[in-house]
Amino acid sequence: MQRSDPAQILADDLDLIAEMTADFARSRDIEESLRVGLQHIATRMEAEAASLFLMDGGSGDLVCHACWGPTDVTGLRLPHGHGIVWRAVNSNRPQLVKDTTTDPDFAQRIDDATGFTTRSILCAPMSVRDECVGAIELFNKKGAGSFDDDDRRILQALAASAALALINARQASAMAEQEGFRRELALAADIQRAMLPPPRDADFPIHGVNLPARGVSGDFFDLVELPDGKLAFAIADVSGKGMNAALLMAKTASLFRCLAKRLDGPGALLAAIDSELAETNSAGMFVTMVAGVLDPALGRVVLANAGHEPPLLCCGARFERVDGGMPPLGIDPTLFMAGCPESVVELAGGALYLFTDGLTEAKDEDGRMLGIEGVQSLLAQYRTLPAPDRLEAMVADVAKDGLALRDDLTMLVVEDRR
Amino acid sequence: MNLKTHENNGTVVVSLAGEIDLEHSPSVRKQLMELMFDRRDVLVDMAQVAYIDSSGIASLVEAYQMARKNATRFVLVAVSQPALRVLQLARLDKVFALADTVEAALAG
Repeated sequence: MQRSDPAQILADDLDLIAEMTADFARSRDIEESLRVGLQHIATRMEAEAASLFLMDGGSGDLVCHACWGPTDVTGLRLPHGHGIVWRAVNSNRPQLVKDTTTDPDFAQRIDDATGFTTRSILCAPMSVRDECVGAIELFNKKGAGSFDDDDRRILQALAASAALALINARQASAMAEQEGFRRELALAADIQRAMLPPPRDADFPIHGVNLPARGVSGDFFDLVELPDGKLAFAIADVSGKGMNAALLMAKTASLFRCLAKRLDGPGALLAAIDSELAETNSAGMFVTMVAGVLDPALGRVVLANAGHEPPLLCCGARFERVDGGMPPLGIDPTLFMAGCPESVVELAGGALYLFTDGLTEAKDEDGRMLGIEGVQSLLAQYRTLPAPDRLEAMVADVAKDGLALRDDLTMLVVEDRR
Repeated sequence: MNLKTHENNGTVVVSLAGEIDLEHSPSVRKQLMELMFDRRDVLVDMAQVAYIDSSGIASLVEAYQMARKNATRFVLVAVSQPALRVLQLARLDKVFALADTVEAALAG
């Protein structure tokens, strides 16, 4: 078939559009796809030279990203103004200049700089609906003639296809970046989970559960076996949410692990952590924390509290709040200078519950907060279950299917297993 | 949430009302930090605060830390019962300067 056969031309153009779109979708290098696409278009349109300009989001300039032909002006910036490319972009319509000597917007200086002689120009905006991402400019139709109205229509269609392919490629690239970020977040969450103590048999005296509201958590609990047979434990809640809270949580958890075996008692431990946090903490972030040491032989707990929800002692059907303590850690380095008071709790066959405000401030379907009364009634409801199952049941009750957690939720139980 | 400011003898009085939660804390924080950067003495009238969560508390703590560094005044005034309970629970009533009325805070 002859090149002049309209059906064949249409088929060729559709092939060209399909090829360009596939190239953008296949390639991870958008710039390379732009170059290849421009080359296809310039060849199809029988142009002597071609340039592709894209809108620079930051400066608002049009910047040349690809060239084809004897001259290369890649990197050339066209500040917002007149010129034929800007005319195409501003009007969102193709511009056909059959004779550049008669067009006042023609930039002769570029020809002067490159040595190329521009006779005619066809320039079409790369736009999809109202979104214009750039323009394709063709110089000099091969042979004696100039571009014509048929060329204008074809370039308009090709430029629109290139714009669509570019927008798709950019979206795909943004999605890939987002996916990468999600993977990193999942990795951070894995590392955090690995920092939590492993589950123990039901007859072990201390159990905990941590349920992050998002991928990473600002809460933690931990457990360290001391050389004298006692057990050091802690629960903490970092103010704020997201990655910065998770990083401060990791730091606090590391400090607890590192200092628990060296320091004498939970009060000294909290004071030492406060001093470390005060030196390097970022403004406005603080940590509420309870640290304790259980003597399993005596069923006795020594506690220190830095601004955290008061622990709840449960003996049979009776609940008792363990009040008292200090403000949160990391607020003011002078607060803990005189030390941190400790309180002694006799478990007497009962259990001590520690939790973050993700539990007390959890809301039900009607938007009502659970509150300390709600916590007590849940504890009473599940009291006959073994400790690990009891915590799981509590958490499952609060974070029912479809009811998203607003905050990280962490619980710890310390039992008298004598 | 509602936030109003006015001046009284060179001290800025920030009046907070309603729920200071995750949604509204950023605007409270922004307002307070701008005042802190300008090294202003600030009273926060919390009489009409119905609820404050940990993000709201964090905004107050950050302002407190800045004021301490700049040696400017930062006083919580007429703190409502719900807000006071939250401060007491975290023992932050021992950290912040508290006053019963704006007049008492200005005199103090």
